Amino acid sequence: MSDSPDVFNYTKKELPSNFIKFGYAAFVVGLVLVVLSLFVDNVRSAFSGVMLLMFVASIGVGSLFWIVAEYLSGAVWSTPFRRVAEFLGAVLLVLPIIALPAYFNMHDIFHWTHEEVVKTDHYLSAKAPYLNVSFFTIRTIVFIAIWVLFYFLITRNSKLQDSTKDQNLTRKNIKLSAVFVPLFALSITFFAIDWLMSLEPHWFSTIFGVYYFSGTVLAALAAITYIVVTLSEKGYFFQGVKEDHYYSFGALLFGFVNFWAYIAFSQFLLIWYANLPEETIWYLQRWEGYWMYFSIGLIIIHFVVPYFGLLAQPSKMSPKRLKFMSLWILFAHFYDVMWITMPTYQEFGYIPGWIELGYAIFAIGLILVIFNWKAGKENLVPIGDPKLKRGINFRL
Amino acid sequence: MSSIDYTQELPVVEGRPTLKEINELIARPLDQKPDKKFYIALSITVSMLLIGAIALGFTFYYGVGLWGNNNPVGWGFPIVNFVFWVGIGHAGTLISAILFLFRQRWRNGIARFAEGMTIFAVMTAGLFPLIHVGRPWLAGYLIPYPNQHSLWVDFNSPLLWDVFAVSTYFTVSFIFWYVGLIPDFASLRDRATSKVKKIIYSIFSLGWRHSNRHWTHYEMVYLVLAGFATPLVLSVHTIVSFDFAVSILPGWHATIFPPYFVAGAVFSGFAMVQNVLIFIRKIFNYEKIITLDTLERMNKIILLTGSMVGYAYAMEFFTAWYSGVQPEQFTFINRAFGPYAWAYWIMVSCNVLFPQLFWIRKIRRTIPVMFVIAVLVNVGMWFERFVITVTSLHRDFLPSSWAYFKPTIVDLAILLGSFGFFFTWILLFTKTLPVVSIAEIKAVNEGAQPSHGEH
Repeated sequence: MSDSPDVFNYTKKELPSNFIKFGYAAFVVGLVLVVLSLFVDNVRSAFSGVMLLMFVASIGVGSLFWIVAEYLSGAVWSTPFRRVAEFLGAVLLVLPIIALPAYFNMHDIFHWTHEEVVKTDHYLSAKAPYLNVSFFTIRTIVFIAIWVLFYFLITRNSKLQDSTKDQNLTRKNIKLSAVFVPLFALSITFFAIDWLMSLEPHWFSTIFGVYYFSGTVLAALAAITYIVVTLSEKGYFFQGVKEDHYYSFGALLFGFVNFWAYIAFSQFLLIWYANLPEETIWYLQRWEGYWMYFSIGLIIIHFVVPYFGLLAQPSKMSPKRLKFMSLWILFAHFYDVMWITMPTYQEFGYIPGWIELGYAIFAIGLILVIFNWKAGKENLVPIGDPKLKRGINFRL
Repeated sequence: MSSIDYTQELPVVEGRPTLKEINELIARPLDQKPDKKFYIALSITVSMLLIGAIALGFTFYYGVGLWGNNNPVGWGFPIVNFVFWVGIGHAGTLISAILFLFRQRWRNGIARFAEGMTIFAVMTAGLFPLIHVGRPWLAGYLIPYPNQHSLWVDFNSPLLWDVFAVSTYFTVSFIFWYVGLIPDFASLRDRATSKVKKIIYSIFSLGWRHSNRHWTHYEMVYLVLAGFATPLVLSVHTIVSFDFAVSILPGWHATIFPPYFVAGAVFSGFAMVQNVLIFIRKIFNYEKIITLDTLERMNKIILLTGSMVGYAYAMEFFTAWYSGVQPEQFTFINRAFGPYAWAYWIMVSCNVLFPQLFWIRKIRRTIPVMFVIAVLVNVGMWFERFVITVTSLHRDFLPSSWAYFKPTIVDLAILLGSFGFFFTWILLFTKTLPVVSIAEIKAVNEGAQPSHGEH
């Protein structure tokens, strides 16, 4: 066994110092801008807060999804890098904190919280059993609790395996993952309906949960890919992270870029074609004034560029291209969330300003600080995982 | 067997057969004369086919008035059957192309049959639009070309997109299937003893010599074709879903239709592959190349896609309520509790409830039980299309024109005939071509892969 050239002797290393410094810097700068924005433009800041929540939730629950997907599909190529997803998933723990400010601005963000409006509006009063502040709050708490619970259970087993090397822990995690999948599907759907679809409370689309899901898993995958490629170039995983591993990340990213486009296009085409006013309003809003350019931008940024950027086989294997495209896709997801959220704030025209920028920087800082905190405490590689050796030796 | 060793890969092929043994095992059904059982099976399917043909003859002679279609329910059995068979035709390329791109090696035992099934199912599906146009000899006008009558198709209609999508899908699936067969034709040629067979296999093997250069080209072509086939698989059923979803009819117009139809198609297609392969592996003694593990994996996919379909049902219901739009709400309540409640609950129980039994490992690995569940899945998926088509139409916006759709004997005979048509092709396929890819099984045989000193 030990004569294999790729055999892995893991010794824990500190993360690169500039990686850590960058995380802290972004966190501090972002935090200053966020706090400042609360005093300058409270409402705009609240909407940006929704964006922050949805973006960070994407990274957190999306990472959890990829962990679960690995266990369920029996994949081995991703096992050596699973810890990256596990560390990123830790951002789930701060979701309650970043969701909290929205509760002080419910009236500004959510139209359906105005009782006097709901009373006179037939549609909103019909929805009131679902769209009311107390049920909304309960749902948000339950969803985040489910995510945190499964995150905790699954990563605890994974961590325990580092020392015990017990295969039963893998078995347990597979079972937990199977239970998690239906809960995940429902929770992410209704989380998206609550926080994004209900911003325009009259509008509805059956595919909306899938739409948010497609962006979520793509963004989380991009975050994982970026960190994996960056750290593995510096030799943090094992010698011989090969093109085969990179290619798997690249191909998966490419696949999910297409999946997002497919879902987004399906939603758009069906609404455009049927031309029912109660549905088209959502797209019409995004075609007013500056929003038109913003919408065209979404197609280019979220689909055209990553599609061609990852289409060719060599580009799926090139570390440089992968790093660039992952950052691009993360930006695209933030842009997407902005495209969904902000038209409710400014109907006719909108130019992103320093407040949104501040929140974006804060999101990056927050995610990195949490990642670095976890990476400082735990092994970067699941050294006790029975699939690790197969993962290291993985060839296409 | 309950404890899997995760440090080792599960073998796809059991028993480490030699290359010659693989050749012989897979080619044996082609060498033997068909036995009595085969002729009994064939006579049953051909009889079904003929019943359908007679019903079609009546239809063309007397017209589509022989069907149950009535005024609000203008779309009846033909579209239901069309969507059903296109759905069956879905899993083939999914198993072949998408699982290939995902490097799922267990697909190699089932891919060939699934591809063949795709082709026959799409052929079966293709009959229905032709029948439904009433005068099939004029169907050539579906293809847009400048003509003396200045007749042009409506490019805005998803029904026309269907023509393009299905024919493209059929073409690419056929090429994909044939390219995969080339190395096998060569293997068959090399071992053929009869002169006629040798000539036929030689022609179809296109001069294949199993040389390294041939394989290099082959692998590249196969990968590219898989890349082409993948978006086509998705586009076909997406466009089929557009047939319904672009309308404004409650029950048809839902933005979730495209992924929901794709998941449903994969679901029913896998169930059909599983059903037929259970027979094939038993009759041809393929238990070691189509292993119980492979069947279990298929059952897991059936569970997953069945639950996705269940998710779509739930979202449709929730959104109908959430939208506050009265016709939407009426349609869904009518679906579940109206005159077609029986069809709706058949659909829900077969598609969502019974597949949940696959959560239990023992059931995933018990052949008679999984067979019954997969049969139910296909019953359920046929009823899903029936529910979508008929229940959305039968009580339209004007209560005075509400009516109940009842299929006539001609409708049922044509449906029966479609099964006859499909299974006749399947039976002929099993005796004329290798239903499992010889080359691909060799590639996943234990010891075929380069390893790092583990053996």
